Amino acid sequence: MSDSGPRDDKLLRLNAALDDELDAAHRLELERELARDPQLRAALRRFSAVSEAVRRHAPREQAPAALRATVAALGRPKQKARRAYLPIAAALAAGVVIGAAAQALLAPSRAADPVAAALAADFARAELSDRPYDVASADRHVVKPWLATRAPLGVEAVDLGDKGYPLAGGRVAVVGATSVPTLVYQRREHWIAVTELPLALAGGPAGAREGTFNGFRVVRWADRERGYVAVSDIDADELAAFVAAFRGAEATNGGEAR
Amino acid sequence: MISDAARRRYQAIVPPHVDDAYALARWLSGDPADAEEIVQEAALRALNALETANVERPRAWFLRIVRNAALTWMAKNRSKSLVFAGGVDDLAAIEPVDPAADELSPEAILIAAEDGERVRRAIAALPPPLREVLTLREINGLAYREIAEATETPIGTVMSRLARARATLAKILEEKP
Repeated sequence: MSDSGPRDDKLLRLNAALDDELDAAHRLELERELARDPQLRAALRRFSAVSEAVRRHAPREQAPAALRATVAALGRPKQKARRAYLPIAAALAAGVVIGAAAQALLAPSRAADPVAAALAADFARAELSDRPYDVASADRHVVKPWLATRAPLGVEAVDLGDKGYPLAGGRVAVVGATSVPTLVYQRREHWIAVTELPLALAGGPAGAREGTFNGFRVVRWADRERGYVAVSDIDADELAAFVAAFRGAEATNGGEAR
Repeated sequence: MISDAARRRYQAIVPPHVDDAYALARWLSGDPADAEEIVQEAALRALNALETANVERPRAWFLRIVRNAALTWMAKNRSKSLVFAGGVDDLAAIEPVDPAADELSPEAILIAAEDGERVRRAIAALPPPLREVLTLREINGLAYREIAEATETPIGTVMSRLARARATLAKILEEKP
């Protein structure tokens, strides 16, 4: 690289200021220089005009749905990943409703269901951090009060240990501006997160609907009191079996303790 | 054979950044269909790397793989003339940062910037090392530190390339169309 004179340094700092990468002291110094140097002011206006033009006219495009499905499928067990290389098969594997297949292939699933998308993203973050829960306990009498003090909605924390889904803990997820309680169950080496939502967020009572967001399977349903969203990286069939077990247990002892 | 643990890490790291990956591949290759192939290849590489890799900044980490996959792809499928020009040293010759800012008016840029097609053509015309830094900053929204990681370049070089990229774009847009 050619030697950079003081003028070049100023231009670099100008860009750093534009990108919010300048610390307070340097920013102050730059502001003083800008105040007495009209050329520098013109340079700042040029850089920011260019930056604005790029952001406006070259926005980040979304990946095509078929690519999204292929990339997500790679992380699943091998058989399925191979089938999913075909875009249509991928769309089906991703739980896209056939009747709406054409539309769904064009419209990214995240836009269709922001609540499910937010909870899938939350699941991804939790999994990435290697800390899938904020309170670790297999005892629902520990998890339930912990969640009760942190999220406005109380949870039942049903015990599914005898059905092969031991409770691992709980955490608080955030959807929009609402803190929502989330139970984390374990299935072999996988996690299943179940978030309970107030009806306003759940959008009214509904049967189970399945989808895939960012590669995670999501099942959501709602009863008359609240909505539920289950997120996991296990198979669709396995997640459906879990949901059935969870709903069965809720129906049996859900009313007793709220 | 990929382990379950690697697949789990993959699920947490790669699919959430597929839009960023596609956008980067799109601007590096200049072609939507090529971009899809590049991202698929990058995803495979990422899956294999996750058997052992320790990832601190997932987005920068994956975009680095995308970038390298794009370089390989272009070296294989494009004529030499279109492939990344040598190192940083060539850049000084291509486009020095223009200190004579006052000779040209920001207003001319603002007018030219109304024309989206012209802006996109100007970005595509940037030398690849400048285009990738500009894309990572303006389109992917990465911080300087992340750009440095994604491009395997010192942060000072990132800064000067970004300044050059913007100065070059400004110059292109200020010229008569």
